[in-house]
Amino acid sequence: MSASASSSAPTSTKDPKAEPAKDEKKPAQPLEEDDEFEDFPVEDWTEEDTQLPSGNTHLWEESWDDDDTSEDFAVQLREELKKLGK
Amino acid sequence: MQAALQPFREAHALENAWAVAQILSPVAPIDDPGRLYDFYRASNEHMVENDVRSVLKYSKQNRHLKNESDAWTDIFVSYWRAIGEILRAEEASNQGRLRDRQAVEVYEAWKAVATNIQKFVSNGMLPSWAVVCMYSAANHLRVLAIKADEQLAQTRNGATFNAGFQDDVVSTTPKSEKLEDAARVFNRMFALCLGDRNPDMNESRKWGVYYMANLQFKTYFKLKAITLSKNVVKAIEAQSDLPLFELYPKAHQVTYKYYVGILAFLQEDYARAETCLQEAFDACFMQAIKNQELILTYLIPCRLITKHAIPSADLLSSFPRLQRIFGPLVACIKRGDLPGFDEALVAGEEEFVKRRIYLTLERGRDIAQRNLLRKVFLAGGYEDLKEGQTEADRIRKSRIPLANFAAALRMGTAGEGSGQILEDDEVECMIANMIYKGLMKGYISREHAMVVVNKKGAFPGTGV
Repeated sequence: MSASASSSAPTSTKDPKAEPAKDEKKPAQPLEEDDEFEDFPVEDWTEEDTQLPSGNTHLWEESWDDDDTSEDFAVQLREELKKLGK
Repeated sequence: MQAALQPFREAHALENAWAVAQILSPVAPIDDPGRLYDFYRASNEHMVENDVRSVLKYSKQNRHLKNESDAWTDIFVSYWRAIGEILRAEEASNQGRLRDRQAVEVYEAWKAVATNIQKFVSNGMLPSWAVVCMYSAANHLRVLAIKADEQLAQTRNGATFNAGFQDDVVSTTPKSEKLEDAARVFNRMFALCLGDRNPDMNESRKWGVYYMANLQFKTYFKLKAITLSKNVVKAIEAQSDLPLFELYPKAHQVTYKYYVGILAFLQEDYARAETCLQEAFDACFMQAIKNQELILTYLIPCRLITKHAIPSADLLSSFPRLQRIFGPLVACIKRGDLPGFDEALVAGEEEFVKRRIYLTLERGRDIAQRNLLRKVFLAGGYEDLKEGQTEADRIRKSRIPLANFAAALRMGTAGEGSGQILEDDEVECMIANMIYKGLMKGYISREHAMVVVNKKGAFPGTGV
């Protein structure tokens, strides 16, 4: 491919599996589909078309629970210990 | 034929590789559903070669096309024949009269197109941009090979009288005969791209390397031949003179990172897998929802292992399918709900196994356990303040009776008759394991039946 082709404006590949991704939001049967990566509807894109502009930080969080729920748990635990104590 | 080839002549004059690749497609464009039919009708078996040749050879305005006319003639003649097979198969299929092996005939006809292009790219009779046409044809070949194999499998199953025992029937022909055949074609094309010696990078076939690599990954994953995928990665990594990875089209980059990430994941190299998958996710085309889901399907278990992190509610809510797969499991990990975790793992087992993430997710149980023990620690409260100490000096109780942990571990299972009652020894063993794995810091005092945790960081990385 020449450099001009690789940097040219997004071109549809017109593959039957490369329909615009919007149509694929519908939940398909999970066990029928496999983990095959689909052809992208375009060849190239800029950072504007990725998740990056919206930032990545909110995507992950710590795996433990916030401490403010530990009150309930402490009560439950005391109950349980009382039961066992009997 | 003059009119049928006009779009090609125009695209060729502009050296618009993708336009030519689309003209050489076995699928009619959405905005012109009759295109294949029109093209086929423009000639017949006796005349097609002469028809095509005379149009291409006498291209006055386009000197290049004239020089390449032999190559393009062969390609378009094979394309015309392939279209004939496709249209006949389509018609037969619509009438419910698809012959045995008709899909195989389509495959073979299209293979002739793909290998023709490859041949002329290889011997230099086509310009370098034609490599795009080559890999586009290869991509279609993969789809047609899968269809052919499906038809072959149906025919085979129809021939065995007891469908219920079809797995027991020993068949000498491979189940993916045509896809394996296509894989060999892809392998040659890949080598053709990788080994191009043209020093002018603008004209290099090396720009097709990652596209062909990705096509091979897709094929080998479908064939369940993961080792062969690793060979592709090795071949690329051994090739020192490829253009910078970042200069390739994003579609090539992201797909490549996805598959390399999964390969690392399957080898339990979670650090490398995480890097690749995160890069793939960050650079992924935003509207390609399914691809983002696929990346996350592996990235989520990865991050659970490497960073003990879970996807945020925000992230899961933008992907309903992932919410359904991972939501319950993640919630249980966060709550430290072990019975719930086990239940969620069983509920999702089929899907997790299919996606090859079951064993990795199972390791998330440690995190759920850590979170439960951590809650016991927090529930223990603080030491009383000594004389002269202020609120700021308050420290959490670092000696926790083993019985507290045992009680917490039994809480979820008690009363439900699950039979998962843990012996005291087992509780001790579990805590020892947590300490060994570095998820908890401290020691067990058997004498006092106490766990003594580190005053500075009892549960590393969790703020306490």
